[in-house]
Amino acid sequence: MDINELKKQSDLSYDIAVAKRNALEKAHSRQVVVYREHLFRADPVTICLVRTLKESRDRFCVLDTNSNPVEITDPAEFLSILVERNQESLNTYYQVYRTFTKKDA
Amino acid sequence: MSSGVLLFCFDTEHTRYHKILERCIRLVKKNICREITVVTNFDTYQKMSPMGFINYKFIEPELGNTKLGKEWNNVDRHMAYELSPYDTTLVMDIDYFCFSDNLKQLFDTGYDFLVPDTAHDLTGRNTFDQRRRSMIPMVWATVLLFKKNDKVRKIFDTVKYIKQHYSYFTEMYRIYVKNLRNDYLFAMALQQINGFVGYETFPFALPTLPPDCEVVKITDEGISWKHGDQISYVENQDVHVLNKEIVNV
Repeated sequence: MDINELKKQSDLSYDIAVAKRNALEKAHSRQVVVYREHLFRADPVTICLVRTLKESRDRFCVLDTNSNPVEITDPAEFLSILVERNQESLNTYYQVYRTFTKKDA
Repeated sequence: MSSGVLLFCFDTEHTRYHKILERCIRLVKKNICREITVVTNFDTYQKMSPMGFINYKFIEPELGNTKLGKEWNNVDRHMAYELSPYDTTLVMDIDYFCFSDNLKQLFDTGYDFLVPDTAHDLTGRNTFDQRRRSMIPMVWATVLLFKKNDKVRKIFDTVKYIKQHYSYFTEMYRIYVKNLRNDYLFAMALQQINGFVGYETFPFALPTLPPDCEVVKITDEGISWKHGDQISYVENQDVHVLNKEIVNV
C-alpha cells in the first residue's frame, strides 16, 4: 500500500473511532432517567433486573445510580420508561453509526 | 417549590464573557426551560444584548485570580447558595452549552447536592485524567445542582472555609495548581463535610472540549471544532468549551 494512502486510511479510522466514542458517550448520558426522584441508568443490566423482579413481585427495591434503595411500586411503568429511553438513545447512536460505516466503505 | 438556573458572568480586560453568556442563555431557555438568574456586575450588564426575561443580581467580583496569566473572575461560586433565589438551583459555567435537555430532568430528583465527578474529553485523548495526582477524587464544579436546606448550607460554609485557607488545603491534598479553582474547592469541601467518604454524583461524564481545540462553528444544535488537521462535531450533546476564543465564533 502507498504510504500516503495508509496514512489517509489511518487518519480516517482514528477520526471515526473518536466520533464513535463521542456518540457512545452521548448515548450513555441520554440513558439516565429520573424516576421517583432518583436517577437510574436505562442500561441492559437495569432493564433485565427490573424485568426479572417484575415477573414474581408487584413491588420491589432497586438501587439508584448513587446506591440508594428505591421502592418500585409500579414495575410496568418503570420498565416501560427504561426500555423507551434505552431504545431512544441507541436508535440515535445507530443513526450516527451508519454514517461512520458509509465513510469507512 | 421554585427552581432555576444560576449563571455567573463578569467581563475581563481580555475576554467578553457576556458574549458567551448570550449563547449559553439561548440554549438554557431552549433546553432547560427554567427561570434564569445571572450574577454579574453593572459594567458587564451594560454590554449585554436584551435576552428576554432574566433576573440579575449585581455584585463586584472578587479579583486576583488568574488563568494562563489573564484575569479570571471565577471565585464567587461559593456564594451561589446565598445568591440563588430558588429552592432548587442548577449552577452552570456559562461556557457549558446545553445542546440537549439532559440536565433538565435533574430538577425532578430528590438529591440535596449533585456534582459531576468525571469529564469526557471529546478529542479522545483523556486529557483530564492527569488530575489523579491529587489524593482525593476530583469533581467538576462546572455544573452543580443543589437544594436549599441546612445540609447544603453547611457544604457551602465548608467551601467558604476552604477558600479562606486555600493554600493550606491544596498542600494537604497534594493539589499543585496554584490558582483558585472551584473544582478543587468543591472536591475538598465535599470530602471534608461528608466525613471523608463518598457523596452523590451525576451518573454521566461532562463532555468537554480541551482548550487547544478551536471552535469553528456553533449553532443551537451543536458545535464543530478543529484540533490539528482534524475537524469534528457533535449535535444534541452538551459541551463544556474550555477555549474562551469561542467569543469570536
